[in-house]
Amino acid sequence: MLSAVTADVQEAILGEDPTEGALRTVGLSVLLLVGTILCVLVAPGFALPVLAAFVAASAYGWTTHQAEMARLLTLVATVLTVLTVTFITVYLFLSAAPAFAAHGLDLLTIPIVNGEPQWFLWLDFLLPAADSIWNPRAGVYSLVPLIWATIIVTTIAGLIAGPLGVMGALFISEVASDRLREIIKPGIEILAGIPSIVFGFIGFIVLNGFIQKSFLDDGASYLIAGLVVGVMALPTVVSVAEDALASVPNSMSDGAAAMGATRWQTMKSISVPAASSGISAAIILGLGRAIGETMAVAAILGAVVQPTVPLFDMFDASSTLTSAIAHNYGSASASTVDVLFVAGVLLFVIVAGMSVVSQYIERRISEQMQGQQ
Amino acid sequence: MSEGYARENELVSVESNVYDRAMDVGIALSIVTFVVGMLTFADAVPLGATGTELINFFGLLLAATAGGVGIVAVFSYANVVPVTSQRVRGVAFGLLVGLVGLTVAAVALPVSLATMLGLILLVEAGLLAAGGVASRLELVDTDPSRTAGLLAGLAFGVIGAITGAVIVGSLPGVPSAVVGVPLWLLGAVALGVGFGALTIGPREDLGSTLPPALILGVFGATIATAAIGVGWQWAPENLSGGFTGGSIIPLFVLFGSLLTSWSAAKCRADFGARGRQYGAFFVINLNAFLMVAVMVAIVTYVTVKGVSWAFHGFTIGALSLLVVLTPPLVLTIQYARAPAGTDEWHTAARQFFRVIPLAAVGSLATLLLGIFVTGTTFEVPYQYAILVDRSTVMLDTAVSVTPSLQVGNLLVIVSGALLFTYFLRRYGSLRDVGTEYEQLSSVRQGLPAAIGLLGLLSLVYIGIGPVLDGLPIGIGVATLGAVAVAALALAPLGPLVTGEGSLADRAHRNSQLLNVGLLGGVALLTAVVVFEWTAVSNPRLGPVAPVGVVAVIAALASTCAAGLASRARRATDDTLRHRILGDQVTLGLAAAAGYLTLIGLHVAATSEVPFVLGPIEIGIQGSLSWPAVLQGAIPLGEAPGGIYPAIVGTIWIVIGASLFAVPLGLGAAVFLTEYAEQGRFTEVVETATNALWSTPSIVFGLFGAAFLIPRLGDNLSLLAAQLTLSFMLLPLVVITSREAIKSVPDEYRDASAALGVDKWKTIRSVVIPAAMPGVVTGVILGVGRIAGETAPLILVLGSEINATNAIDVLGGFAFTTSPPFVTNDALLTSSAALPTQVWAIITAGVSGSASKGWATAFMLLVVVLSFYAVGITARTYFRRKINYE
Repeated sequence: MLSAVTADVQEAILGEDPTEGALRTVGLSVLLLVGTILCVLVAPGFALPVLAAFVAASAYGWTTHQAEMARLLTLVATVLTVLTVTFITVYLFLSAAPAFAAHGLDLLTIPIVNGEPQWFLWLDFLLPAADSIWNPRAGVYSLVPLIWATIIVTTIAGLIAGPLGVMGALFISEVASDRLREIIKPGIEILAGIPSIVFGFIGFIVLNGFIQKSFLDDGASYLIAGLVVGVMALPTVVSVAEDALASVPNSMSDGAAAMGATRWQTMKSISVPAASSGISAAIILGLGRAIGETMAVAAILGAVVQPTVPLFDMFDASSTLTSAIAHNYGSASASTVDVLFVAGVLLFVIVAGMSVVSQYIERRISEQMQGQQ
Repeated sequence: MSEGYARENELVSVESNVYDRAMDVGIALSIVTFVVGMLTFADAVPLGATGTELINFFGLLLAATAGGVGIVAVFSYANVVPVTSQRVRGVAFGLLVGLVGLTVAAVALPVSLATMLGLILLVEAGLLAAGGVASRLELVDTDPSRTAGLLAGLAFGVIGAITGAVIVGSLPGVPSAVVGVPLWLLGAVALGVGFGALTIGPREDLGSTLPPALILGVFGATIATAAIGVGWQWAPENLSGGFTGGSIIPLFVLFGSLLTSWSAAKCRADFGARGRQYGAFFVINLNAFLMVAVMVAIVTYVTVKGVSWAFHGFTIGALSLLVVLTPPLVLTIQYARAPAGTDEWHTAARQFFRVIPLAAVGSLATLLLGIFVTGTTFEVPYQYAILVDRSTVMLDTAVSVTPSLQVGNLLVIVSGALLFTYFLRRYGSLRDVGTEYEQLSSVRQGLPAAIGLLGLLSLVYIGIGPVLDGLPIGIGVATLGAVAVAALALAPLGPLVTGEGSLADRAHRNSQLLNVGLLGGVALLTAVVVFEWTAVSNPRLGPVAPVGVVAVIAALASTCAAGLASRARRATDDTLRHRILGDQVTLGLAAAAGYLTLIGLHVAATSEVPFVLGPIEIGIQGSLSWPAVLQGAIPLGEAPGGIYPAIVGTIWIVIGASLFAVPLGLGAAVFLTEYAEQGRFTEVVETATNALWSTPSIVFGLFGAAFLIPRLGDNLSLLAAQLTLSFMLLPLVVITSREAIKSVPDEYRDASAALGVDKWKTIRSVVIPAAMPGVVTGVILGVGRIAGETAPLILVLGSEINATNAIDVLGGFAFTTSPPFVTNDALLTSSAALPTQVWAIITAGVSGSASKGWATAFMLLVVVLSFYAVGITARTYFRRKINYE
């Protein structure tokens, strides 16, 4: 029993056929690494020297048993990566727990407007309602205005990024000549590379003034935030949708061409339907990007948290889930921080969920397409 | 009918007729209105413009278009960019005709721009309707389908419904509801169904022209009759905002021009399947160009806004600028020399384009030479805005190039190192060429020993300080080394100049001398300079510093050798010898660049006095003064100082994040792809990393602030920022590296295994080199993204607005006797960074200087986009290389 476990561990660390003496050197490295991790947890002061010893042992092992050492180091990197990812997730949930426990359903309080709970997608019968929905001093927090602001901004962004992004993907994968593609594709990539704070700065200085003049608004508005976020989400939609269109087997469009269809007919009736789930994955990912966008929204919408009345008023403004964290964290009290963690977990769950769904779709498609080839 | 391509010397093909021309004009008009709509939206031209202002505006548009069309036409005529599509030619022709017409109309009609736009929409409506009707009456030969299709019907139904709702809803004096049904709903249904029917019902030529014509007519009439004029306003009660003529008219125009372009493009291609394709492609193309236009507009706007502050007080000596300019000059020379290839371009034109960059850089270099010959300062004065007590003040400043001959060592080192690497990469090898002398081979063997000895001595100096302080060992060794280098570098010249046979013969025979003399000299001198640095000595014999002087002499000798070899090369016809001599030329140039770099390093190492050579002075302090980039903020000063601390902060953040994330991610990718069994585990890890990559960055900031900061000294810190961003970078490195490793064909691994190579050696020498391009590109793009990341930083690093001092990470390291033995206080303090500084300016409100914000945003863009430029160029380069192999 014990020997079986030892053999398993040995194989996991050393691979299938280790050379002689590898166990000693590699084992020393493993021990030192475990020692480092223990030191970090128990006596952080000694972590650095032990880590240095690990590095020295590894360097020695690298010269004597390179293959085994390399395998060990990549294994260590994998374990650390997986641990980091898991740890961040767990820690976030743990940090959000106190606020869940303290506030419960009150985190979803609906504002009372004109003496009645505001209509909120038929949820107003289920959720509590109150006059004040965000007042850190009184310990009153409701995420409803933040969630709704996120929904409006994401909707406007999706309306822009969705159709334009799909058209852009069609252009790159089907319409453009090679030379044109060489220009447009990096152009869109660079659009993705412009830092969000630059978008935010432009929105804050230029566009908020524009909307005051042209749309009689008082400055901050969902419309501008949505527009800007839409432009920022555009490259994501383009690149993922383009991948989906490119993975449609050539034989399908060749068949259409053989039937005498024009390129547009082929695109409309063959490529796009065949890639439709990939395109929806692209839009889901784009929406995820829009939901998670922080700095542009924070700069444009400002720090106010307030209900949107009426719900569809796109000239109103309130912090979104992300921008509330950005604006409030530094100056927040402990209880506010806990609530911000709830917002963070909400974002994490929604966006990671969207990513998982779109990956599932993509994987299914690639299996399907391979089946057809 | 008009499908074929035009012949090259005709504007448009003979077969195309008036109908086609009219539709081309329609498309061109829609493009013009789209552009004008955009311009009015951005307030570049007021909607109320009349008279001279309007004429000037259209005249300007006409001039710009005529210039653009003209240049393309000239290129097309010269066969540089052959434009054969007669549709493109037709649209270009239509653009000119349309703009001439508009300019004439602006002169003839006393109307405002808004009215004019309304009239244009009406004209477009007329064109579309006429086109549709002409096709229906079979006056022209077209090929329409039976119906415009359900999709178009649906689209126009929706447009009609919205129009109906708005028209009925905004009509004054009508009851808001009839028998409980809101009237706007009735209007919407009526117009929606009507438009849908009008689109689907009749034959395609009418179905796809009449509805857009109607909509355009309504829009045009509303604007032209000033029912919605410039001053018009409508603020619905329950919205916080409203609509003005200033926003609605451009929206109408933009939407109308999109409709026109689609419909006219359909008409132009004679309806039917081909017409639909043309219409759809036109819109798709327009969309793609719009996206790139948005990108270009953003980058240009930030540049224009930020550049004045970012370059205030920028001064540089002409020689410094020349040093900076040398690598591009060499590159452009190489570009101009590149062989012609087999492009379809006209040869003369191709030569022209190869020479243009060289001419540009060359003329700049000549200008600089002129500056220090004449001794006058070249100056571009301008004003920039700063914020004093919350009010904007304009300051006078200038960008200037002075005739100074002073150069900073850093410029010399960077330029020289670039050139050295460039030439050395082009240099093949002269190892087995020419005669082998006995003394030479002993020198060749002795060199590594000498260099090793110097290295050892350097280590001794670092470890225990200067040994035998009384004796001038440092100076002696350095001088001896310098003399040896001089001998090495000058050795090849003698046999080259004198001796038997032709110059080419001698050069060929003495290849070994060149090889050992020049390359060995560079290597030995490098060791000497490193030794100088450890010995903290600047050996001087009287007034001269031997190391520097030897470097200059050696550089001259190398240049001479290169020149001689080049002359010999000209005289030979033999291919092999041609190549050998070519290698000697690049070797000579590489050595010259290397020696010049060493002068800079020598100055940096001794750091006492500038190195003077005639009028030229290479010192620690150069003649480059760039306050915006090289200074911290100056509180209460006359000038505002700069953003140096933020730049340094950003650089350290990027370095720290990459140091942590790249090795870890790469290792994980290798294990997951090569060692681990592909199955559930790898799939889960892949899904998790992908999910983590798309997680909002602010969530990482939350984690960093709540977990890292309490464990790292409990204050905002650079280390926390580096770690937080590295957690963001980690998934990306894993994803891109995995993809790159996966894309290495299995044949490579199989071939390696078949040769009996074990797994790790296969990975090290086959898989990783093949995957490297993908990994490098992915990592560069990821790092670019990290450099601009803001949200997590404001939680873990804070946001400083006017940092005066840059963080000193290297100087912050300190050794202690108690654990953890190494500390770095600098890493545990907060720092400014470019993105957080922009955020600080936003949150500062009125006390944030917008001009400084633009300059910071501009610098941030420069940093991030250079990462992107490098990444994208690398990818294109590797892809080409793979494709050609």
